[in-house]
Amino acid sequence: MIGKSLRWLTAVLLLAAGSGCNREQTYPARPLTVICPWAAGGGTDRVSRQLAAQLEQRLGVPVNVINATGGGGVTGHTRGAQARPDGYTVTVITPELNLLHWRGLTNITYRNFDPLVCVNGDAAALFVAADSPYQTPAEVLAAVRDGDQRMRASGSAFGSIWHVAFAGWLDAEGIAPDEVIWVSLGGSAPAMQELLAGGVDVVCASIPEAESLLSAGKVRCLAVMGSERMPDYGDVPTLRELGSDWTLTGWRGVALPNGVPPARRDKLLAELNEIVQGREYQQFLEQSGFAPLPLDSEGFAALLRDSDDQYGVVLQSEAFQGVQQQRFGPYLFPTLVAGALAVVFAVLAIAGGWRRPSELPQPTARGIFRVAMVIGSVLVYALVAEQVGFVLIAAVLLGVNLLMLGAPLRSVVLLSVLVPPVVYQIFAGFMRVSLPAGWLGW
Amino acid sequence: MEMILTALEQVFLDPRVWIVCLLSAVYGIFIGAVPGLTATMAVALFVPMTFWMDDLLSITAIVTMTACAIFAGDVPTALLRIPGTPASAAYADQMYALTQRGRASSALCVSLVHSVVGGLLGAVVLIFLGRSLAGYAAEFSVAEYFWLYLLGLSSAVVVTRGPALKALFGLLVGLMLATVGLSAVHASPRFTFGQPELYQGINFIPAMIGLFGLSEILANLLSSGRETAAATGAAPAASDSSLWGALAVAGRKLKSRFLGVGRSGAVGAAIGTLPGAGADIAAWVSLAASRRGPDQDLEEQELADVADAATANSAALAGAWIPSLVFGIPGDSVTAMVIGVLLMKNITPGPTIYENNGALVYSIYLMFILANLMLIPVGLLAIRLGGLVVRIPKRVLLPIILLFCLIGAFAINGSYFDVYTMLGCGVLGLILDRRQIPLGPVVLGIVLGGAVEERFIQAVTAADGSPLALVSRPVSVVLALLCLGLWSWRIFSHWYRPGVNSFSKP
Repeated sequence: MIGKSLRWLTAVLLLAAGSGCNREQTYPARPLTVICPWAAGGGTDRVSRQLAAQLEQRLGVPVNVINATGGGGVTGHTRGAQARPDGYTVTVITPELNLLHWRGLTNITYRNFDPLVCVNGDAAALFVAADSPYQTPAEVLAAVRDGDQRMRASGSAFGSIWHVAFAGWLDAEGIAPDEVIWVSLGGSAPAMQELLAGGVDVVCASIPEAESLLSAGKVRCLAVMGSERMPDYGDVPTLRELGSDWTLTGWRGVALPNGVPPARRDKLLAELNEIVQGREYQQFLEQSGFAPLPLDSEGFAALLRDSDDQYGVVLQSEAFQGVQQQRFGPYLFPTLVAGALAVVFAVLAIAGGWRRPSELPQPTARGIFRVAMVIGSVLVYALVAEQVGFVLIAAVLLGVNLLMLGAPLRSVVLLSVLVPPVVYQIFAGFMRVSLPAGWLGW
Repeated sequence: MEMILTALEQVFLDPRVWIVCLLSAVYGIFIGAVPGLTATMAVALFVPMTFWMDDLLSITAIVTMTACAIFAGDVPTALLRIPGTPASAAYADQMYALTQRGRASSALCVSLVHSVVGGLLGAVVLIFLGRSLAGYAAEFSVAEYFWLYLLGLSSAVVVTRGPALKALFGLLVGLMLATVGLSAVHASPRFTFGQPELYQGINFIPAMIGLFGLSEILANLLSSGRETAAATGAAPAASDSSLWGALAVAGRKLKSRFLGVGRSGAVGAAIGTLPGAGADIAAWVSLAASRRGPDQDLEEQELADVADAATANSAALAGAWIPSLVFGIPGDSVTAMVIGVLLMKNITPGPTIYENNGALVYSIYLMFILANLMLIPVGLLAIRLGGLVVRIPKRVLLPIILLFCLIGAFAINGSYFDVYTMLGCGVLGLILDRRQIPLGPVVLGIVLGGAVEERFIQAVTAADGSPLALVSRPVSVVLALLCLGLWSWRIFSHWYRPGVNSFSKP
């Protein structure tokens, strides 16, 4: 029986070796990862997946998108900047890269990235509800200056690109940004919902984010902050035409971490340039309502530099610092919850509810050992999987745990040899969910 | 009328629609059944393929795979106590308890039948009330959402069978975990200790896998040697009767509680319609709305809970399409992607879609019906295959579950921090479970904690600091009264019926 299993083992290992090794000379030899710092379903995710699908056709290896979300963009940009510079990880960067570090939330800046191409740029725009009294940006400014009530605006979270756009515009018009209440909402979609529900008076966001509500006549666009009018919305003036020199355009681009070998960088750059200029991608942008912003890598690098300065001026200004004063501080809610937790725990402890029910089986020495083994397995996986690769580490952990629980040797060998490669194929091959490749190159 | 005929022809006479429907049903079931992969993930992975498909087929696939993924989330819930989606966490304990008594098939068939009924009820609401309901969703500002989330959180405490204080404790633990990371509304890091990894906070999917899945593995092993049968021996008595017997149970359940099912479907669709509130809240609130006295047989109660929550979370799916189609405001993350796909096909969601693309709208309606009917055979197959899992001896099964916990925690964001989250939550789950603290409320606390805090601060900020903003509009007053009613009812019933408070096993 064991002999048979060993033959299986040899066969599978040979397969693994054949499919994985000795291809490192040519690039790319294994799947690429695209890091998208925003959630599945959003605009950046759609752009990332479109690029990934086309890169995959051109490079001939799978290109998987990972949504490294959280922390308002800190997570994804940090992971992208710190990824191994081997050309197998690219990041779709967004303006948050140039916003977060000004607020001391991360050390990562645009200098940690090697920009390749800019793939899309949408100008900020001002929206009001259809029944709003304001017809022009000037009327909004007048209401901010002379209104009896403070105006409420939103568009996305506090300190986001649309907040900077709005605050910078007010500043350029000589109004302190803290004259308007910025309601910090999770994104442009909830901001639009809030505009409809009457919770805010003005929303600052980009046109594609409001497209359906615009065409439905539920909201009106007062002005765009780009340098030119939008082709599809020719009747919406730019702020510049109305006498303001404030412009702000949000952008998305593809970047590598610093230090990727030049040959690989050039290969990727060439492919990406062709994709971005290609008909298919242009069609995608047009149909999604996104505006193109064709910039080569030098132009993109310059945009990164300039926008970093522009955001810095707004975010560092005294008036913007004033906005940050909030009545309900970040630790109010945790304090309340912790207090309630302590009270409930005290009541439970006094009333006897905290006692362990007597019918529960007691832990045994062997049980504690096994629990420790399982916890250890998870730790080992988290520590070495990236290096070793999913298939190998999964086989080892599966084998060890099966042995520990006293499974028959035959099933131990069979399962730990067969299950990991099959699972890997299903997840990484069929479903395009990234699992670490590691030594076997799988 | 002409449009309806076109739609009928497009949907039912095109063999491609049937093929795509079947394939995406299988795909949806598979993704939903893997803990850690959600309906959202299923659609996100599928979206690049829609570039090469026409609009109707793309919609067919998305509708079918989400309907199937939400049901399939119940399969690992029943068999392994790992909720496949947060929508299943509300009744994970009930389902797993049924499995341990050898009634996995009954539990799953009840869930399947009610998912189908819920999905159809949701479709009916979408078809007949969609345009009028959309108006009500547009009335919801941050203050209303604050009360709605609070209602969801309160439901988690109210529905618990055991002492309410223990459920409250679990909920507070979840709320506390939710505060880790970058606070979106303050834009300042909390409890991150300068570690960039901690900025992302506690992701609820690895947390859920840890709390339910890993903690169950650990609990099984902890007392090994004492109860060999439970730890390493054969699994609990193989599942009950035949699949047909289980289906009959489900049918009887449905027949005997038409009213309850209708109520849960209505609750689900109404909550699903609101952008920012989806299947998970729907499942909890429907349980609270149908809370029964303790006079009924325990097993019947558990089956009824599964029935209610499964109806509500499936009905919520169709509800989410209402604001998406009528206003172009996504009802949930799946419909956000649908809007993207429609825009790519040059179809702009919004009031004009009914005039410009009427046939497509009717086709979407029909798709909902077809998708839910397709769920029946594919779901039964999944239950059948799932039944094989319970026959695997635990000493073989547990290490394999461990492997899937690792994949599930890692796959969603490709982050090793999530693996540590899963581990931490696994140990926490073991400790809480041994003190009989229910784990469902912990998950809900993590899911809604950030949202409820944000809505509070947003509402109060918008009113320049006045807390009265929370009750300044009619809808928010109604929701606030509902919350108060729920709490006072719970406190009142505690005084009225002594014994509920005793901390012995209920």
